[in-house]
Amino acid sequence: MEEQQIQDFVHRVAQDETLRKELASHPEGVIMREGFSPRVARVVARLVPQLALDKPLGPSLGWW
Amino acid sequence: MSNHAQPSVNPFAAQQHHLRERLRHFLAILHPVLHVDVVTALEAEGKLLSHAATSVDSPPAGLWPLLTLLVAQSISPDMNPICAGNVAVAVECFVCAIDLLDDVIDEDQTSTLQALGVARTLNVSTALLTLAQQAILSLSQQNVAPELILRLLTTLQESALMTTAGQHWDVLVEQRPAQSFTQEECIEIAAAKAGSIMRLACRLGALCAGADDVLCEQFSELGELLGIAHQLDNDSHDLYYLLQGDTSALGSAQAERNVKTDLVRGKKTLPVVLAANMPGILQSSSSPADEEKEGHLRALQQGVITTWGICLLYRERARDRLQEIEAQKPVAPLLHLLLGFE
Repeated sequence: MEEQQIQDFVHRVAQDETLRKELASHPEGVIMREGFSPRVARVVARLVPQLALDKPLGPSLGWW
Repeated sequence: MSNHAQPSVNPFAAQQHHLRERLRHFLAILHPVLHVDVVTALEAEGKLLSHAATSVDSPPAGLWPLLTLLVAQSISPDMNPICAGNVAVAVECFVCAIDLLDDVIDEDQTSTLQALGVARTLNVSTALLTLAQQAILSLSQQNVAPELILRLLTTLQESALMTTAGQHWDVLVEQRPAQSFTQEECIEIAAAKAGSIMRLACRLGALCAGADDVLCEQFSELGELLGIAHQLDNDSHDLYYLLQGDTSALGSAQAERNVKTDLVRGKKTLPVVLAANMPGILQSSSSPADEEKEGHLRALQQGVITTWGICLLYRERARDRLQEIEAQKPVAPLLHLLLGFE
């Protein structure tokens, strides 16, 4: 289930400093290794700034 | 900021003008004592008769009926504009009625509730639900087949029952601990509430334009996915800004009050539920108070990011659905703009 994949990955990154650093330096490599579906991979790629670089949450999607 | 590249000239002005004209046609049948209060509700922020000037980032007034109208016109550009407009007005009345009930139930101090009070607000909601049905029944004057009118009304009724069930569910769960919830249940509630309303807006547009069953279902699913994404977007950003102490980003003092009210009432939004179910973080009772507080905060932040990720996932699913629709025929550029997909 894609939702669970995202939840598990966010939790693992939050708990694992090594994974967080690797995600910050080589996001494509980490995402490829995890074997996500193309759709989940697109989502995780957009979460990298918040997961690995402590950036603010992305802007609201706006109208919808 | 928004991901909508909306030009400074309002691209929806002509459609909004048409919709307002259709709406005023139906409002004219109301008794004067009721008319003034119904108009007050329909002039609230974001509603079709809102006086607020459209800024680059703010949604156009009457977002919901615009969606219905543009879906219909995208499928059948030559269809009778009065028919499409009346069905879209039914959506505006329905959504406004449901929003008013939601505000009363949640005790949100919106401008309409403050102006009308609970009793008049409930009566206005009843009038708007009736007007929604009236707008669809009026299609008989445009020589629309009775079978189609019945199908549109049935769709409206089904959606009303689903939305009401979602609202009821949301109220009932206020008494349950967040730990007893699952991610799936939170998303089911979002689907029953926001998902079913946006599903209705898209489905009625497709139905009245004569779309076949497959296309109707594709537009319905597109709407439902966008509705769920919208709810999760709100839930993640509202809590995020509250945790950051940046309540100005919520847009208004009223929005800030509503978010806090949600928390106080024990609304089981997805980030709160995810945080409550994180192993060893919120359940820890042996750690000192400061550590426990920090653990709570970390869990909520993680819940916010996960919810934002799931929101993006639903948005991606909606994009996939739109691509399936466009594999048969591209949708109109204005509908693309309204949906917010690049």
